Amino acid sequence: MNRTMRILASLVAIGIVAVVSAIFIIRGPGPLDFAGGTKVALADYRAGKPAGVPAGLEKASLVERGEYLAKAADCMVCHTKPGEKDYAGGLAFKLPFGTLYSTNITPDKDTGIGNYSDQDFLNAVQRGKRHDGARLYPAMPYTSYTYMSDEDVLAVKAYLFSLPAVRATAPDNTLSFPFNQRWAMIFWSAVFNPDTRFAPDTSKSPDWNRGAYLAEALAHCGECHTPRNLGFALDNRKKFGGAITAGWRAFNISSDKATGLGSWSDADLISYLSLGHAPGHGSASGPMGEAVDHSFSQFAPEDIRSIVAYLRSVPPVSSPDLPATTAPVAPASHKDGVTADARGKKVFASACASCHGWSGESPVSPMATLTGTWAVNDPAATNVAQIVISGTKRHTPDGALSMPAFGNAYTDDEIAAVANYVTARFGTKGSKLTAKDVAELREQTAE
Amino acid sequence: MIMVARNLADPIIVSDPANQGMHMATTLTINGETKSFDAPPDMPLLWVLRDILGMTGTKFGCGIAQCGACTVHVDGKAVRSCVLPVSAVANRAVTTIEHVGSTPSGAKVQKAWLDAEVIQCGYCQSGQIMSAAALLAATPNPDDADIDAAMAGNICRCGTYVRIREAIKLAATGRQS
Repeated sequence: MNRTMRILASLVAIGIVAVVSAIFIIRGPGPLDFAGGTKVALADYRAGKPAGVPAGLEKASLVERGEYLAKAADCMVCHTKPGEKDYAGGLAFKLPFGTLYSTNITPDKDTGIGNYSDQDFLNAVQRGKRHDGARLYPAMPYTSYTYMSDEDVLAVKAYLFSLPAVRATAPDNTLSFPFNQRWAMIFWSAVFNPDTRFAPDTSKSPDWNRGAYLAEALAHCGECHTPRNLGFALDNRKKFGGAITAGWRAFNISSDKATGLGSWSDADLISYLSLGHAPGHGSASGPMGEAVDHSFSQFAPEDIRSIVAYLRSVPPVSSPDLPATTAPVAPASHKDGVTADARGKKVFASACASCHGWSGESPVSPMATLTGTWAVNDPAATNVAQIVISGTKRHTPDGALSMPAFGNAYTDDEIAAVANYVTARFGTKGSKLTAKDVAELREQTAE
Repeated sequence: MIMVARNLADPIIVSDPANQGMHMATTLTINGETKSFDAPPDMPLLWVLRDILGMTGTKFGCGIAQCGACTVHVDGKAVRSCVLPVSAVANRAVTTIEHVGSTPSGAKVQKAWLDAEVIQCGYCQSGQIMSAAALLAATPNPDDADIDAAMAGNICRCGTYVRIREAIKLAATGRQS
């Protein structure tokens, strides 16, 4: 080998090492690496049953078990366009580089998944590979579903195949170059999809393992609550530290005492997950409201408790932009407390005060109390603006309570003013939203 | 003045599909009397008042808590009964326009309303009176800013706002302003 060849070979070697280390650094740890214990294959774990359905459903038919698991994985919300048939797809995902549409997963042979074999379905759910060999975009959270057991994935398939076939073709995606190159997802998947099944951790309790399976493989909490890295994959160095997804802020659900769930009681967490509301912590709205309505509210009580046990173990990650404590109750009189932003106050007096009160403690229902919620204590006011724009509705065993959508009744300027007033009066630090910010938030949730 | 278009928001949910057909025996304390009836738990209080109990003094306006016509008192506070599920008011004292005249602030407000001849078409006035009575009970001598903060959510298409303000001051002080 001559000198030039040697130099070239070294450069190539250095290049390969650099690329591999860069990938390794960007990829970071897996979602369960924080636990650190000894992992065993699911089949070799005897202490409990992390996968499958709760005990009460073990004797149920395959379809019924699949239904529970499909709800736990919350397939329907993304695969249903509001107002259209369940699971028939067509919901738009607005991304910075174009729009993606969810697919029809009813058993229709032409437009749905009616021709999928068991292996085809496993490939799609666990590996992001379509029936025709094309790659799925990771809006389909197959990097989470990959942890599902084959048995559970096939139970979901049996449930989907028990539903009526709906003929419906989703619109074509409108992604821009280079994101419209599906084949490139082969490389993305190779780096970011571990393509591995859930492996129980013998150093943890059976409850924890069940919670880990539910939260990671099925409920895919991290897809909204974990920030993303340079490759748009989950950055588990900041696992559950919170992120903005689809225009809404998914707050910190790590065990951080100040800005995560560390100071929530078990009863608070159980109530929030199963009813979408915990006293003094507010009510689930936007995407989390949907997750509660269609998924968590259907969980068996013991499964909710397992998720809580698991959440408790996730290492604390701080959200530096949030205050260490939420603001106390505001004064009862409109004259005391924050008086700035006359325009915001005017909107609040006419549209909000009759339900939320001037103190932030609702005279109507604890579910409408603003005091103590992260939404009003977030100096970016993202979720306050979103709830004002799109409204919210909570279902409880005693019926539904709803707030109307004000998006069409008020201008961007008025919505910014009222959000700034609300965060200043009921939170720790007032937001500085402008009409432009509100217009951008509207864009992100146009559907 | 805010324009509220009713079709812009979610229509108020009269019955949640999840509770369709589900009726519950409910007992409420309305105007000091105990009333028992069957209603779905998510039926808004306004429907219970008007359609079940026949108390039609409280009016339906927008159905989304944006006009104030349906205002009643729950534990002395003015709330919009059109968005308030009946399940949320169990064990709480409800006062409506039929009975507010027997509270001290309600009596003063009603007298002042007559003296100042506030009412034009009258549709919004039950709600205006309920909001004004709650205001005076909490703030016996309100200034203009207090009146704005308490009354901004009560809309009057006849534009009686000037007389409403005068009447509230009259009720508070006993003097024409």
